[in-house]
Order: sequence, then C-alpha cells, then structure tokens
Amino acid sequence: MWSFVFRRFLVAIPTLLLISVLIFGVIQLQPGGFLENMLDDPRVSRETVETIRKQYGLDQPVWVQYLNWLKRFAQGDFGYSFLNNRPVAGLIWERLGWTVFLAVLTILTTWVVAIPLGIYTALRRHGLGATVVNLIGYFGLATPDFLVALLLIFAVLSSGGTNVGGLFSPQYIDAPWSWEKFKDMLAHLWIPLIVIGLDGTASIMRQMRANMLDVLTQDYIRTARSKGLAERVVLWKHAVRNAINPLISIAGLSLPNLISSTIIASIVLNLPTIGPFLYQSLLDKDQYVVMALLMLSAILLMIGNLLADLALAWADPRIRYE
Amino acid sequence: MTIRKALWLLGFMAMGLASAQPKVVSGYENGKPGGTLTMALSSAPQTMFYYGAIDSAIQTLANQMFDGLIEYNYKTYQIEPALAASWTITGESKVYTFKLRKGVKWSDGRDLTADDVVFTYTQIVANPEAKGGDAGNFAGVKIEKVDAGTVRFTLPKPAPAFIHYMRLPIMPKHKLLPFSQEGGKKPGDINNAWPTNVDPNEVVGTGPFKLQSYTPGQKVTLVKNPNYWKRDANGTPLPYLDRLEFLIIPDSQAQVAQFLAGNLGQLNITGTDFPTLKQREVQGAPIKVVQFRALFGSPPHLAFNYDAKNPELAALFRKTEFRRAIQSAVNRKRIIDDVYNGLAELPGNGVAPVSEWYYDTTKLLGTYDLAAANAALDKLGLKKGADGIRLLPSGKPLEFTLTYGSNSSTFTAIATIIQNDLKAIGVKANLQGVLAANLLSTGRGKDWDAIILGFGDQPDPELRTPIWKPGGDLYYWHQSTQPTTPGGQPQFSNFLPWEKEIYDLWEKAASTTNFTQRKALYDRWQAIFAREAMVIMIAKPNAVGAVSTKYGNYIYSLGVIPGYNPVPIMYQK
Repeated sequence: MWSFVFRRFLVAIPTLLLISVLIFGVIQLQPGGFLENMLDDPRVSRETVETIRKQYGLDQPVWVQYLNWLKRFAQGDFGYSFLNNRPVAGLIWERLGWTVFLAVLTILTTWVVAIPLGIYTALRRHGLGATVVNLIGYFGLATPDFLVALLLIFAVLSSGGTNVGGLFSPQYIDAPWSWEKFKDMLAHLWIPLIVIGLDGTASIMRQMRANMLDVLTQDYIRTARSKGLAERVVLWKHAVRNAINPLISIAGLSLPNLISSTIIASIVLNLPTIGPFLYQSLLDKDQYVVMALLMLSAILLMIGNLLADLALAWADPRIRYE
Repeated sequence: MTIRKALWLLGFMAMGLASAQPKVVSGYENGKPGGTLTMALSSAPQTMFYYGAIDSAIQTLANQMFDGLIEYNYKTYQIEPALAASWTITGESKVYTFKLRKGVKWSDGRDLTADDVVFTYTQIVANPEAKGGDAGNFAGVKIEKVDAGTVRFTLPKPAPAFIHYMRLPIMPKHKLLPFSQEGGKKPGDINNAWPTNVDPNEVVGTGPFKLQSYTPGQKVTLVKNPNYWKRDANGTPLPYLDRLEFLIIPDSQAQVAQFLAGNLGQLNITGTDFPTLKQREVQGAPIKVVQFRALFGSPPHLAFNYDAKNPELAALFRKTEFRRAIQSAVNRKRIIDDVYNGLAELPGNGVAPVSEWYYDTTKLLGTYDLAAANAALDKLGLKKGADGIRLLPSGKPLEFTLTYGSNSSTFTAIATIIQNDLKAIGVKANLQGVLAANLLSTGRGKDWDAIILGFGDQPDPELRTPIWKPGGDLYYWHQSTQPTTPGGQPQFSNFLPWEKEIYDLWEKAASTTNFTQRKALYDRWQAIFAREAMVIMIAKPNAVGAVSTKYGNYIYSLGVIPGYNPVPIMYQK
C-alpha cells in the first residue's frame, strides 16, 4: 500500500505544476487590477502606480514572476499579499479556524442526516414519509444556496429575530469565550448549517437512495434473506456496506470545499470564512493570495482523493492496491 | 474635600486650560457621554496604517483615529482649523505657516509636536513608494519645523488648492520612525507599518477614537480617546460615544438586514435601498432615513471614446453635435425618478451643485427631447437604414458597445434606459457589462466605444486636475491627448480647439490664488464642458443614510473623506 501512496505522490507533482501554470495564466488574463483602481483617489498619480508596480516585481515578464513564485512556493513560502502588505500564510491562517470549523460541521451534519434518510427513503420508497423527504430533497437540490440564505434571513427578520448573519451577535465577536457566547453562536449557527448543508444533504441522500435500491435487488440480498439471516443483518451488513462505497469517493472530493465552496453563501450570510477573502482577492487581482488559495484547494483535492481511495480499500475487501 | 484641596485643583485646572486650546463645536444638540455605535465596513481593512494602502476600510477607520491640520465644516464644507489652530499664507501664496493647537496629546499621552507633522509629510506623504502617499503634490515642497508648535511649508510655485492637502492625517513619529527612511529603512518599507495583526496599542492617534481590537474579517472595535481635543458648547469633552464598532459585512443586502435587525446603528445606503427602509420608518420602526445633498460622491457620466478603434466612430464621437444629440436622448428625469427613487438631482459639470465652485449649467444640459435628437442626427447626415438603424457615411450601421458596471444595480439600470432611448433615435448600443471594479481600467484601455463611469467630486476643482484637464492621467475619453511619456507634455497637436481652451483655463487657475478669479476661470470651464458635452453628466445622487432613533446629532458622512468626520458629536439618547 505504501508504494501506492508513494506513486500517487509522484503523479501529484506534475499535476500540481500544470494546475499552477493554468491558474497563473488565468489570473494574468483577467483585466484591471488593484493598481489601476488606485488612480481614482486624488492622492495617487501615475508615477506612484509605476513605483508600486516595480516594488512588487509586476513590471517583470509573466514567466519570471511565475518562476519566482514557484521557487518560493516550493520552499513553503506562499508569497506576499499586495493589498495587505503581509505574507499570505498569516492571512489564511487567521481565517482558517472558522472555515475548517464550519466545513467540518456541515460535512458531518450532512452525512449524519443524509445517509439514514437515504436508507429510509429506499426502504419505504412508496411511503408518505419518504415522499415528503424526497420533495424537500428536490427543493434543496433545485434552490441555490444564497437564495435559501436570503429566504431564511427574511423569515428571521419578519419574525422579529436579530440573528441575521455572521456567527455571533456584534458584542460577542471579540469577547472571550463564555457560556453566553456559546449560546449566541448556536443561535446563529443553524442558518449557515441549513444553507450550506441543504444542497449536499439532498444530493447525498439521493445517491444513497439510488445505491440502496440498486443493492436491494441484488441476488446476494435475496440469498442472505433466504438463508434466514435477520433483516437487520441483511440490511446493515450486506446492503448498506455495499451501497455506501461510491459515497466514499464523493467524500474525498468534498475536501476542497473547505476553501472554495460556499463563497456566495458566505458573503450573503457574512461568515468569517476564507470564501469571501478569496472572492475579494480575485476581484482585486491580488495574485499571490489567489495562487495560494487555489493551490491549497488543488492539494486538498488530491489528498481527499487519496484518502478516499485508501478508505475504499479499507471498507471493501475486494479492492487492494499492490 | 477641603477648601485648600479644591483651590489646588482649580489652580491645576486653570493651568491646564491655559496651555490647552480645545476646539469648541457648537450649533448642535448637547449630548450625553456614553454608549456604543455599531456601523458596517464593506471590506476588511488591508492595514491599520492610513498611508499603507488605498483602501476604503482604513480610510473610514483612520478618519476616527487621526486628524489633519485642517478639517471641513459639517454644514458648509468650509475649511476650519483642526490640529492647526491657525495659519498664515505669505510670500506670494507660497509660504504656509501653521501654528499647532496647544495641548493636543496622542492617545498614548505624548504631546503632538511639529516633529510629528514634519515627519508625516516628509517621510510618508512625500515618499513616492508609500502606497497611500501623495508624493505628486508635494514634489519640491520644503517642509520644516520652525519651533515645537510651528510648521512651515514652502511651495515651489503657488498652488491654490494646497490648503486641502493639509487634511491628510498626521501620524506619530515616535511610533513610525522605525519604518521610515529617517529610521534607516528603504522607502518602500513604510508600507509595512501597522499591518492588520499589529498590537492595537501601537496604533496611536489624535482622533476621537483609538483602536482596541481587530478580529480578522469580522469586526474592528475602537474606544474613546480620552485625550481628544474637541469640546461641545457646554465644555463636555467629545466624543460622546464610548465605543465605535465596525462589523465587516461585504454584501449590501446583508448590511440592510443587520440594520433592520438592530445590530447596526447607522448605515450608508443607496437610492435603491431607500423604499424598503423608508417604508419601515413610516410603519413605525425605530429608524430614521435621511438624505442630504452631497458634495462628495460619484455622479455617473456617459463618455464616448474620441479615439475609438473604428475611425468612423472616433470621428463621429469627436463631434460636439453628435454628443449633444445623444445628450438630448438621455432621460435624466426618468433616471433620477426610477433608478435613484428621486434621491438625486441634475448634475453639475465636474463640480457638485452644492459646492461653492458650482456654475449653473442646467440650461446647457438640455432637455430630454427625442425629436430634437433625431433632427440633430439627421443634420449630421446619418440617414436611417431599412431596419431603423442609422447608417454611417460608409454605409455601415451606427452601432457601438456601451460598457457599464454589471454588478452595480444603478449602472445596469442607467445603461438599459439609455440603450432603449438610443434605439428610439436609430442608434444601436450593445451593452457590455464588466465588474464595476474594472470600469476605470477598462476606460483607461482602448477596447471601448461608450462607457458609464463615475468620478468622485471634491471640494476644490483643482483636486481633480488629472480628470478634467485635457491630457491628464484620467482624461481617458481622449487618450491621444495624454503625454507619450509619463510626466511629459500633453500631445497638443491632438487637442480639439475647445480642449485647448479648457487646458489654458486650468493652467491659469492652477497658478491663481484669488478665489474670485479662480471661480471665474472654473466657471468658464464648466460652461465649456457643458456646452461641448465633453462627457454627458447623468445625475448627482444624494447621500442617503439610515440611523437608529437611539442616536442624536446624526449627520451623514460617506466615511471616506479625510477631514470630514461628524461622528464625535453623535450621542446615544
């Protein structure tokens, strides 16, 4: 297995290189940038802009800029944010905590809710409960997350509530942790959980349902039943274990969501995550921040894939990597 | 307290008063001290150092934490003393001598001295590598300390708007020296001062509030600076408020929601949000929606590219008759009523209508009259083709792209209205949306025919020279007038006759110091601007703000104008 992991690492390097060239190229193609916009301020003259362009090495050819970036990136230096006059790593680090917290929490909630619902709707496919759950699922799939966010905010406002965005009420944001702060967070947390989680829950539920329906008609299920196994054993040991395999791959692919998903929902809900930061950096063409975040996203995707493959091997005795 | 003690105390107070010169702000309600005001920032601050970035968030924050030598009156926008108690202008308007206000202290208790002022201007403002500096306007200016309380600026030539540059915030030398050239660093290192993860105690200012904490991407908290130098009419120290909180909320809808939920005390809004909020106010919500005619703020204009890629279009766009014909098809009234919900007025030409520099160009703006527009285009020889679209002399249809900011609801609506009216006069405009943030760079490029863009108005036309003086950096609609090398002479050979006239007016105004004479020159410029429809000004939006009824003395402030900060007189009821 270790040789498999090692080989995957080797393959990852050229892939990442290719991705980085692509991202760098696309950033350069983007029109405008923060330097041009500075000119609207009466303080800034053409000369100042040129000086700053030189300061950042933006007057050099694109390929020189790229190679310089690559050299530093290989050494673990993510570069410098033009806008913030600070190393990118620190800026990401400041925002990473809440991002990971929210992502992990939504992924967990999603799975904990979606898998049982998927099994339930597969087993009771014609029941009233399953129909209702399916309907909600369709709604969740079809509605963009930011719209759900706006609707929920409207609902909260109409009912006289005050928790309409963010993770805390203003007075708790920079307060030390306390029981009150925790309660305040819970009162805010349900909106992002629904908004970010609804889509994923619905799609995983539908996947799980389809897989289950598929597996339940297999011969080995009939065999298991006919040899007199308890229904519980048939269901959990034979059906679910087989049906869940494809979902493990999906789980691996959801790792980059830590960074790049939910950008719009995070902006609408004003969540302190990396999403809005990435969005703003893209608009401002703060190229090393964008590079760092997108590369991180690519690396996470690869790690997620690898983990998923390993988990598959562990869950399914038929899969072995030699 | 014994009588003796009381006498001593009185004596000390008298001494303190004798040496301090607090500025008294009168004409407003006397508030009571205490309370917190929460406001919104549309983006996270990029730095805590005003001169380290061109960033609206730090400009808003710096307005509360620092002061300039001068400031603007809340009502009249006239220049008033701030950190400078008085000044004289001598030596053929080239020598500015500022007497600093006595007894002003930094928020860490140190005295403000002439050294701080000299340091700010020589080491930061005039430093060409400071991202938020203003080296261009301080080239050749000699800045020196006369004594601990006096600073002198000697200009190479008279610059009538120079006094406005004195609104720039003064920085503490004792904290920033290590980042400066004087402190042995490279010029560019000044930008590294006070990054967002700085210890808040390092960020020392003279302003009404000082930094307490910053939670990345979420919130900035400022607290009252007990050393602030303003008093109200009763002698109560300002600011009244104890705390100022800024929540970072990028989405304007989310800001409105937070305001309605009571989590924000005050909000700057646009005409688009006005109906919702006004309706709430009428229904009895504890809020007040107010509007002011604005001096600052960006009125949109419609510009045509005199150097359009298609030479036929370029020739047409240079014709005043063409631009004036198009102007007759711009339905300003409808735009003001429908897009701004009535919260806008007819625009000035490069000068806000409330400004003392304004020259009434309303008549020259023309009226919305499609028949007249049609007739004018007919007269230019642009005959209508079979499909109703006019034809250029070459027989090609009169068709061009109209670039606008697609993520601005205002610009999108204006673009659609104009496109429709142009269609009625046989002119085909193809809308092309770009991000509002990229409008200026698009305009300064070559790939556009017509564009809707806005530049901020300033209290003195001189401050907007790069925009309105032909050949300037931002004179983007006629780029072939711009110098071929940075800092060189404009390309006079490409000037249109009236552009030369404007150029001469600006040259003359830049070296005239007498207000009446300058006003006459700028009046003439505004008249030519309007007469030639250099660019077609569309409307001047009013400043609209919403505030919770908990607060008194609310004056709308855009929050990004250095030297204009009405927050110290706001109080919580």
